[in-house]
Amino acid sequence: MNDTSANQLIERLAADTTLVKPLRSPLLRTISWLLLSAPWVVAVVAIMGLRSDLGERVTDFRWMVEQIATFATALAAAMAAFCAGVPGRPRWERFVPLLPLAIWLGSLGDGCLQSWHSLGSAGLTLHTDWLCLPAIMMASFAPAIAMTVMILRGSAIAPMTTTALGALAAGGLAEFGLRLFHPEDASVMVLIWQVGTVFAMVTIAGLLGRTVLRWRPALLASGTAA
Amino acid sequence: MSADELNLRLGTLMRLAQAGDRIAYAELLRLSLPFIARVVRAQRPYGLVIDDVVQDVLLSLHSVRHTYDPGRPFMPWLAAITRNRVVDAQRRHARIARNEEFVPEYPETFSGDETNTDMTIQGDTGLLHRAIADLPAGQRQAVEMLKLRELSLKEAAAESGMSIAALKVAVHRGVKGLRQRLMGYDEEQSGTPK
Repeated sequence: MNDTSANQLIERLAADTTLVKPLRSPLLRTISWLLLSAPWVVAVVAIMGLRSDLGERVTDFRWMVEQIATFATALAAAMAAFCAGVPGRPRWERFVPLLPLAIWLGSLGDGCLQSWHSLGSAGLTLHTDWLCLPAIMMASFAPAIAMTVMILRGSAIAPMTTTALGALAAGGLAEFGLRLFHPEDASVMVLIWQVGTVFAMVTIAGLLGRTVLRWRPALLASGTAA
Repeated sequence: MSADELNLRLGTLMRLAQAGDRIAYAELLRLSLPFIARVVRAQRPYGLVIDDVVQDVLLSLHSVRHTYDPGRPFMPWLAAITRNRVVDAQRRHARIARNEEFVPEYPETFSGDETNTDMTIQGDTGLLHRAIADLPAGQRQAVEMLKLRELSLKEAAAESGMSIAALKVAVHRGVKGLRQRLMGYDEEQSGTPK
């Protein structure tokens, strides 16, 4: 290879280097993201008002499993998004959110089956529930902004995966909050309207991955974008 | 140096580089260069210049050097960046190649009369010399010095004794005069006024 040009570039890059603050571990970044996002979700829940039957819901095993799985999915997705932005980390880390996600979706799927067995086709009746979409969008606003800012600090090693996981984290946290104020527990409704909204966000974010996360050219001190 | 030793050495150098040590960073990049080139070649980037991809990897490494975790091995970090940049370069190359059309022989000019008229006139050196000779003395001198001999304004001012401002005005008027004269000759030749 042309050693002269590569060596010249090395000299320029070395001359340009300054103190950089290494990224913190994905776990610490996940905690930071949660600390930044949680107050917003709490505020949205407070403004909308806790659902009147919340005391009853927390004694419902299925509801609790779904809420814990939703929260765990959000946290695992956030951590996976931060891992995906660091070159050289193992790929299996990106698949960790699939475990709580499977429990979440599995519980909802089981709920649909139970409704089918007990009520027949009437148990799977869908009606429009337009509150879910804006409510999840509103509750996920700050978590999504915080996530975007934080993943932009990482690299574009897996842009689509990173943004999709980031959206799953923000949407999951918003869905967790939504079920604290929105009294809709029919599994099929939750699956279609609420989980559907979260997955729409994940799909859009994934498609925008290469636009949002790019390899930024090194700006050298000489003022040239190399 | 064994692979493990190199990994440890590069990890140490990167820690120092993150702390702003330029000498350590230069050494890190030099030691990484053969590895990067080897990985790039191993990926067999079709249609790409190896040097360009290697330099792209160096620039990418520089822009994300804060993502290296000092507690983790260095080589997987470097290898992931290198492989990713090669794939990106191939994708970019494929996208450009898809939109390019290879023409075996470039057409010399456009076929339309309008496009050829001006080119014929401009290519006629005899007409151009006649037009320059017809210019007033000051404008002719300015055009000759600045456009034909390609002197700088400073050199032309020193040679002619004219000020730079006067030269600028003279050359501007000279070029305008040339354009009018050449159009006039064209009308004379074609016999049809434009």
